Amino acid sequence: MKFVGFLLEDVAGIQVYYIIGLLIFISFFIIILYRTLKMPKSEAESIKNSLFNDDEKEENNASSEDLKSSNN
Amino acid sequence: MELQKFYYDNKIVKQFILATIVWGVVGILVGLIAALQLAWPVFNFDLEFLTFGRVRPVHTNAIIFAFVGNAIFAGVYYSLQKLLKTRMFSDVLSQINFWGWQLIIVSAAVTLLSGFSTGKEYAELEWWIDIMIAVVWVVFGWNMIGTMIVRREKHIYAAIWWYVATFIGVAVLHVVNSFELPVSFLKSYPLYAGAQDAVVQWWYGHNAVAFFLTTPFLGLMYYYLPKAAGRPIYSYKLSIIHFWALIFIYMWAGPHHLLYQALPDWAQALGVTFSIMLLAPSWGGMINGLLTLRGAWDKVRDSATLKFMVVAVTAYGMSTFEGPMMSLKNVNMISHFSDWTIAHVHIGGMGWNGGLTFGMLYWLVPKLWKTKLFSERLANTHFWLATLGMLIYAIPLYWAAITQWLMWREYSPEGFLAYPNFLETVTQILPMYMFRAVGGTLYLVGFLLLVYNLFKTMGAGSFVNSEETQAPALVNDQSRQEAGETKHRWLERKPVWFAVFAFVALAIGGAVEIIPMVFVKSNVPTISTVTPYTPLELEGRDIYVSEGCYVCHSQMVRPFRWETDRYGEYSKIGEFVYDHPFQWGSRRTGPDLARAGVVGGKMYKNAAWHYNHFQNASSVSPGTIMPNYPWFANKTVNLELTPSKIRAMQTLGVPYPEGYDLRAVEDLTQQGQAIADELKKANIEVEPTSQVVAVIAYLHKLGKDISTNE
Repeated sequence: MKFVGFLLEDVAGIQVYYIIGLLIFISFFIIILYRTLKMPKSEAESIKNSLFNDDEKEENNASSEDLKSSNN
Repeated sequence: MELQKFYYDNKIVKQFILATIVWGVVGILVGLIAALQLAWPVFNFDLEFLTFGRVRPVHTNAIIFAFVGNAIFAGVYYSLQKLLKTRMFSDVLSQINFWGWQLIIVSAAVTLLSGFSTGKEYAELEWWIDIMIAVVWVVFGWNMIGTMIVRREKHIYAAIWWYVATFIGVAVLHVVNSFELPVSFLKSYPLYAGAQDAVVQWWYGHNAVAFFLTTPFLGLMYYYLPKAAGRPIYSYKLSIIHFWALIFIYMWAGPHHLLYQALPDWAQALGVTFSIMLLAPSWGGMINGLLTLRGAWDKVRDSATLKFMVVAVTAYGMSTFEGPMMSLKNVNMISHFSDWTIAHVHIGGMGWNGGLTFGMLYWLVPKLWKTKLFSERLANTHFWLATLGMLIYAIPLYWAAITQWLMWREYSPEGFLAYPNFLETVTQILPMYMFRAVGGTLYLVGFLLLVYNLFKTMGAGSFVNSEETQAPALVNDQSRQEAGETKHRWLERKPVWFAVFAFVALAIGGAVEIIPMVFVKSNVPTISTVTPYTPLELEGRDIYVSEGCYVCHSQMVRPFRWETDRYGEYSKIGEFVYDHPFQWGSRRTGPDLARAGVVGGKMYKNAAWHYNHFQNASSVSPGTIMPNYPWFANKTVNLELTPSKIRAMQTLGVPYPEGYDLRAVEDLTQQGQAIADELKKANIEVEPTSQVVAVIAYLHKLGKDISTNE
């Protein structure tokens, strides 16, 4: 870590290097945004629905108390 | 295709569910006690173990790490197995994760109540508990990544992206913020000092909210909300964009907790910029959650699970709108040090984390116990109690925040502070504190209904520890990108690469924030008159830290006229270079103490006043809500530890002369004797090495070094 300290101690204008980070983020963001939006809708739909490709049965939310009262 | 038979590990999910329920009761109950203490100080009971300064960290740690932590593990262990169509990678690792985590929680509660604290908010635990957390967290990650590797599903679903980010984010935050030098089994000092410690701590504090209270819950939302609604998530594309944007941006925003404080301007600007940017990916998540319910709102009417989830996502949207707004310097000027922040975090905690946990439990318990929920009606009652409780908690606190801030900055026509006595601004808002306790009570009663409802459900159902199921084996998984496959889709079937990319995304912000603050010397200009603490002052400081004084008293005068008029000269970054840890605080329930040692200053009180204040605070400040600390006068400083504390400080770079550790106790006794002699003039007899003398010495050091009054 001393090496990092040595490098940074005298870097002039270090305060502005977060601007560089900001630019890195924006460029990556634009690339990801563009590529994601280009993805075919049908593919996105099948991916979304993959959540339900398991062995679970989706049940209604009626409670045992509700069932009891409806049986009565 | 070959069908493989395997067994889901339901037992580990059950264990974490039970732990969530038990720690939920404890965490909320302790929170209610803390709320009562603030409204009626008699609830401190004059007991060392029950003072607000110790109870409050127990509440925050119990809610964050015990209640929410166990809920995360319960939700992850269930959904991960279902999503990857496999049993958890290792039952042994699962059990180490569970029992290790419970051991950490118990150790945390015992040490914090006993007054062993590092004094860093939400990271108060001592060094050996920090090591336990790191080990258990690695076990969790190992188990999770192992499960991904042995999966039967080709791609990892969006929920798991968030789980991965959570594992990496928390690991990085916890390790970097926990670098500390042990002095004994129950005492350590952080490696960083002053402004550097503040930046690291609030980078951690802010991102603990991000990677412990947000990302895992977004993962849970991506699984449990569509499951409970019976509809897929609204947009897969949106989930990609808001995932990467959110984990990248969050890490940069920590300094918004330190606006107008002793921190370089560039760091403050960084915090503000990225906090505003955070609004977009946060709302991406909220929109994806709420729009999942499009066309299914009729189900919300009947289902308490969905009702809780809707409130959770709405509270998430409110909090993540409010957060960036609070990061604007002109808003932060009001919200920081006031009850606004407390209200803000409780909208997030009670609404988002609580709501989603309750919704998840109401869905999960009947499913695991193969029965119906015992009573939907009780669950709906819980929903209304929790929602009303949250509002009755938060609205009075917003009111209190604005009222108190207006009083702090009010001037008389003659140009003097209209409320120069800080206490007046506290007694004014006590009715709001009483309402807060009512809100907390409602929330607790609602939670107890959940406990009853779920235990009745469990009793009526049957539970299978290992549930048999089958799925096709995963074959022919190409390592290269297939034709027509998007980059992200490729990444979704490469969990290790996914984790590496996630690490890079979130590490950039942390590095940008911390490396310059720690290594660039010009960021922390030193002040020649600032000297290290004397051994007695150091011991007094350690008591101040362990008692959690920082939860009510700040040590940071911001450069506003209404603060400098009340407290004295505004704080400079160079004043804190020997502060391991920094004690700037985040809420002023009591006045700022940064200038408590400036003789002739507005905040200076003599030794006898402090003694009487600790013995019986209301005898010198009628109407105060400060707890009494009568044991300070009877208990003495542990002198056996003083030399090793001096040596530890030397290791951390504090310039005590060589061999000073051997003279430290002598100097300590000498300085203590002078204070004891001063107290004797007021007919107060104390030992020169008593705790009260040490704390008085410390308070009289605050601000003295840059004072020109002497």
